[in-house]
Parts: sequence; C-alpha cells; structure tokens
Amino acid sequence: MRINNLSIYQFKNHKDFKIDLNTDISCITGKNGQGKTNLLDAIFMLSACKSYFNAIDYQLILHGESSAALNAEFYNGQQLDIQLIIEQGKKKKLKLNGKQYDKLIHHIGLINVVIITPDDIELIKGNSDERRKFIDLMISQTDRVYLNHLSEYHKLLDQRNRQLKLFADHQHFDSIILESFNERMLAPCEYIHQKRQTVLKEIQAAFKQYYRSFQSGSEEVVLKYESALNSDSFEILLKSSLNKDLAIQRTSVGIHKDDILFEINGYPLKKFGSQGQNKSFIIALKLAQYHFLAETVKQSPILLLDDIFEKIDEERAEKLIHLISQESFGQIIITDTHAERMRKYFENINKSTKFVEL
Amino acid sequence: MNYSSKIIENAVKALSGFPGIGTRSALRMVVFLLKRPKEEVNQLAESLMLLKTTLKSCRVCHNISDEEVCNICKSPNRNHRQLCVVEDMQDVMAIENTAQFNGLYHVLGGVIAPMDGVGPDSLNINSLVTRIENGHFEEVIIALNPNVEGDTTTFYIARKLKTASVQISTISKGISIGSELEFADEITLGKSISLRVPYQV
Ligand SMILES: [Zn+2]
Repeated sequence: MRINNLSIYQFKNHKDFKIDLNTDISCITGKNGQGKTNLLDAIFMLSACKSYFNAIDYQLILHGESSAALNAEFYNGQQLDIQLIIEQGKKKKLKLNGKQYDKLIHHIGLINVVIITPDDIELIKGNSDERRKFIDLMISQTDRVYLNHLSEYHKLLDQRNRQLKLFADHQHFDSIILESFNERMLAPCEYIHQKRQTVLKEIQAAFKQYYRSFQSGSEEVVLKYESALNSDSFEILLKSSLNKDLAIQRTSVGIHKDDILFEINGYPLKKFGSQGQNKSFIIALKLAQYHFLAETVKQSPILLLDDIFEKIDEERAEKLIHLISQESFGQIIITDTHAERMRKYFENINKSTKFVEL
Repeated sequence: MNYSSKIIENAVKALSGFPGIGTRSALRMVVFLLKRPKEEVNQLAESLMLLKTTLKSCRVCHNISDEEVCNICKSPNRNHRQLCVVEDMQDVMAIENTAQFNGLYHVLGGVIAPMDGVGPDSLNINSLVTRIENGHFEEVIIALNPNVEGDTTTFYIARKLKTASVQISTISKGISIGSELEFADEITLGKSISLRVPYQV
C-alpha cells in the first residue's frame, strides 16, 4: 500500500496544504505546533474514517470555518483516490474514485495504516476501552464480518441498556423484550470473542520477538486476553447477570467488558514497567499489529511514526530504524522536530528517502 | 436567501421541510405554483388537507384507509388465513406491488427501538396478538427490514405468538422492503415472500 500525495483543506491547523509522498520514506520535520501530527492524522483518517486523536469530528475543522476536506491518492496495484469531507452538522462523506460510499464502514480495510505516537502510552495507562479500540481496529482492518458484528453488537447493547433504564423508570419488566435483544446479541458476541482470542494468540510470538529486539533484559512480557467469555457462554452469562443488570440498569457482561492485560514477569506493566520497558512494549505491540496486517492481507500497511525519535534513546532508535528499513516494511512517513536527526538516521538507508521541512 | 415577499419566504420554508427538498428546489416549486391556475392550487391544498382531516387508519390492520375498515380487510377475494406483519404503510404498498401475496396485513407502526423511545406498547403488537388469538389464521409472515431493530421485533412477536397455533415464517434474510424500497426490487421482494422460511423460537 502506498500513498502518493496528500492535500489537506481547513483541517485542524492547516488552511490549505499539499505534499508529495512518493518515496519509500518521508521525513517531515518542523517545530511543535506546525501541524506535523495532523498530517499523519489526516492519513489515518483516510484509512479509518475517524481521527486517531479526536473523537468529535467537527473539532477537526479549522477554527472559524464550517468544513474540512482531505484528499489523497493511494496505490495498491490500482489507483485509489480517496476524499473525505467533514461539514459542520452533517455526516462525514467519503468518496473512492469519485463515488461516495453509502456507509463509511464499507471503506475499512481498503487502506491499511499503522500509527505509532507518544499518545499510545494511553494503551498502558488508560482504561480498557483504549485496548479494545486497538484490537478492534486491528481486526476490523482484516475482517469485514468482525466489523459488522461489532457494529451490530454495539447497537444492540445501546438498545438493551436503554431498555433496562426504561424498566426501572416505568417499574415494569418484560422478559420477552430482553430475551429478544439477548438472542440477537449471541452470535456477534461469540464471534467477536473467538476472533479476539485467535488474533491475540497469533500476534504473541511476533510481539515478543519485537520486544526482545528493543529490550535486552530477561523479563517476560505477555498479552493476556481477559474476558468473562473465556469460561462461560454469553447466553449463560446474560442469564446469571440478569438481576445485576436490572439493578445497575446496564449490561454488565459481554465483549464490551473485555480487556487485554499487559504483563511483565506476571505483573501488570501499568504498575511495574519502567519508562523504557513501556516504550519498548508499545512499539513492539504496534509492530506486531503491522506484522499481522501485512501477513493477513498480504500487503504492507503504511507506517506512520509520530515524533517517536524524540521519545526514545539512540540505541532503541537505531534498532527501530534497522527493523523498519528491512525489505518487508513498506512505505513509512515520519515526523520529527529535528531535521538534522532525521538526516543522520535516514540519509544512508537503502530506500528512497525524502526530507521535507514545514 | 433574500425574498421580496414574506409569503413566498414562508412557502419556501414549509416546502423545504420535505425529505430530499432543499431551499432551491422549494423555491422552484413555489415559482411553479405561482404560474398555475388558482383552481389547480386549490385542489392541491385540499387534497393535502384531506390527508389530515379525513384519512383514517383501519381499525383492524392499522393500514391507512378512507374508511373504518380498509379495502384489503373487507375483501372476500383475499386469503383470510394468511397474515403479513409489516412496519408501515409503505411496506404494504411494496408487497402489494409484487402481486405475490394475497392474504391480509397487520401494520405495526414501527419497530422496537428503546433508543428512540419505541417499546412494544407504542406499537400495534397487542392488537396483533388479540387478532391472532381470536381469528382463524394459519400462517403469520413477519416481513420486517433485516436490521437490528427489525430482527429484534421479529423475535419479540414470534415469542408473543409462541402459544398460538399458527405457523410463523419470515421473508428471506437480507431483503429490505417498503421504506427501504430503493434497495429491493419487486422481483426479489416477491421471491422472498413466496420462498419464505419457517421461524423457530
Ligand atoms: Zn385493514
């Protein structure tokens, strides 16, 4: 997968910006606040249909304007012109080669990217929904059925939760209506659980190997899938949690409660990981995602590295550069505050490289 | 936009509230109406008023009707042992157009969606259960759109009718009807009704 060029219009702090990205590696440098990260986020959005950093779309529009547009030319054997339009008070519009998608979700998986950014520390420090978001995006990029099940599951969950509230508000209980939601949720829930389990198992080896290449100690790291569905079927879980659900007025079991535990020597990384270990863990996790996508769809994703070299020491940086300059890695776009550092790291690499200063 | 007349402005505003009609199309409609003879515009206004003043819903099937009981319910030529459950009147029209079904209808008036404040009590589900219990129906075909809300409603109705001695079936999965008419052509919809499948709960 390649991106050839990118145009950005009234997106975040960019008024009107164009850049050619026709080399294997692009190093984009500039001072903080010039919008380097926003360029990478624009590319991410053209892949995932949502920003990696902002949950609310209209906040992506340049201050004082009412719309934003992103445009890029990708190539995966054929040319893919992708255009995303964000307008205040309207649904986002996405076009592929001039033709608008009925539903944005149909686009997921066409353009695969992996982004690594300092904010990813939230994967370790943040709530379980950060980790679910991570695994859901990774699987959705390769499995349409998973994505559909996930979207249906969440719609049903919202309805079910609202229904539980209505029972309480109206002091009235109708077991059949709850059963109707339960019944419909079973298949999506079981599929998602199965798939998360399989994929986590699948990326474990690559993850450990990548971690080892950044960290020379003897510590053991592991990604552990935590889910009530590991031991019981969703049907049984729903039955046994009925009274609790009615009391708290929301659904207390299901794949929306899953977590991925990050462990180091059997202890939670969140509490026991050093800064260095945390960084190695995140980069290894993201490279494992990259590896998984490349293997599954048989095409290298675009790798976006946001300000990573600022945050890691020279030794790790050199290892990372060594890794990503291998044949198996595809196009890479890097942002950094130091143009010199980028030249030093990437000037002598055996790939076509360009340096752009904002 | 700047209008030279408040009357025109109001008419444009009212018309641009229609689905799919923007200000520009609304203005074109207003200009068109201005050029038409007075009687014609009167007739239009009158037929619109009748929608609200005279149109009823059939007290048996809840489909839109000019009288207390609609033509379909009254017709001796229809199969009174088959009942097709649909979401709204557009679905009735879509299924009638396929000419593949000659039974009666029951219009729910929506689907179960707690998020939109629609529960079973705000739909014509109780009257459906009563109708089945007191009638001589042999088969109930539930023909709802194949989405989360439609599927949930289908299951709910099937469960409610579990003890009644009727065969329950659904149209083939993946077929959209009336309100999503643009996605289902008549032939596919017709086929999915004649090739309906038994539904078990
Ligand atoms: Zn009727």
